[in-house]
Amino acid sequence: MNTACENVRGHLDAYLSRELPEETSREVQRHLESCPQCAAELETRVRIRAKLQAAVRATPVPVHLQAKIRRAVRGARPRPRTGLWAVAAAALVIVCVALVSRLRVQANPEEAILRKTTGRLAAVLNVGLRDHLHCAVFRKYSKQPEAARQMAADLGPGFADLVALVQAKLPGDFRIIQGHHCNAGGRQYTHLIIASGAGGGKIVSLILTRRQTGESLTGSIHQAGVDRFQVVGFASHDYLAYVISDLDAQQNLQLAANLAPALREYLAEHST
Amino acid sequence: MDSKLPQTGEFEKAALPHLNELYRTAARLLGDGTQAEDVVQETYLQAWKSFARFEPGTNCRAWLFKILVNTIHHYRRGWFNLRRVKESEEILEHTAAGGAPVPERIAQQEILRALGRLPADYRAAVLLADVEEFSYKEIAGLLGVPIGTVMSRLSRGRKLLREQLSELAQSYGIGEGGA
Repeated sequence: MNTACENVRGHLDAYLSRELPEETSREVQRHLESCPQCAAELETRVRIRAKLQAAVRATPVPVHLQAKIRRAVRGARPRPRTGLWAVAAAALVIVCVALVSRLRVQANPEEAILRKTTGRLAAVLNVGLRDHLHCAVFRKYSKQPEAARQMAADLGPGFADLVALVQAKLPGDFRIIQGHHCNAGGRQYTHLIIASGAGGGKIVSLILTRRQTGESLTGSIHQAGVDRFQVVGFASHDYLAYVISDLDAQQNLQLAANLAPALREYLAEHST
Repeated sequence: MDSKLPQTGEFEKAALPHLNELYRTAARLLGDGTQAEDVVQETYLQAWKSFARFEPGTNCRAWLFKILVNTIHHYRRGWFNLRRVKESEEILEHTAAGGAPVPERIAQQEILRALGRLPADYRAAVLLADVEEFSYKEIAGLLGVPIGTVMSRLSRGRKLLREQLSELAQSYGIGEGGA
């Protein structure tokens, strides 16, 4: 391969992409007409590019994605075309809202934290977080473990066996201190409150609630950090399940991942 | 004010035809279909929110790709507050479900694997130029780098890909392989 060939091969891809200046392109063209080796090399690069295009373009697009995007778009408002006056007015509104929400923060700490959840799964992650805040964080209750009999009675025959199942999957220094059914924001929950002995008593909630129309957490486990809380949520059969705590993200996720397989089985039996 | 709001129908008509290209690019850049889905949905949401600023008649495809590139950049830096974590049971299900691929598919899988092994910056440049057929100047705009950087990433990325494919090329009859 001589210098001319080396020079041309350096330009071959740009030649294929029609990115060469006209004069250079003509020079490459002339060389290719008289050099079978470089012409063969061009042929190889054409084939590789065609194969690459075919392989990438064969990537199957999930069939539900278009409908999912349409739904998301229709549920979100676009930013309007605004003039300067409108920007000023919007800024004023933001200041007012900020002032009002500061007042509301003082009035209702639960709602203030729930408003910090962002992302498209905010609503469904807040379903669990609401109960954790309401029942395990801002409610006054004894941090001493309840008697097993008391928990069994509070959970009723339907869920009494949940305590042993969960306790078996928890690390040694975590203990279930309460088990009951509770109500937050007009919704029923099954709730285990778990305390970790180590490191100054972290509180973990395992929360189960029946899934309502339109609520989904498809596929895998979902995780979000909201304020000082870590929320892990997943759906199983007719239920949404949450593990929420003030542990660090990795610990909380690990706890949830340990519980998930057994819980999925358990909830399959409890679903109609 | 409402009369100035863009209509969802108008947006969907302009933007949804590009869904496949955006998804496959995201899937190749992230190496994960589920993440690609999240990123593409976020791209459409961002595009919809700023659709009022989009000039009708300009290149909607390039505009969407620009948003996609930014979204992936944020995603990689962990700016999404939501992460999906695969459970071991789910991974097992996926592994068990794979059937025997036909030869054409094997070749495609090999090519995609070779592409996946390219450094991310090279991979993005090669995908945008050789698959999506954006001009070098457009790619510079999409990636926010000078055109010289695009050219050097392309040159190195294509060379690496050719080297990886040269054996494959011989076994599947693509040609003689690299230089």
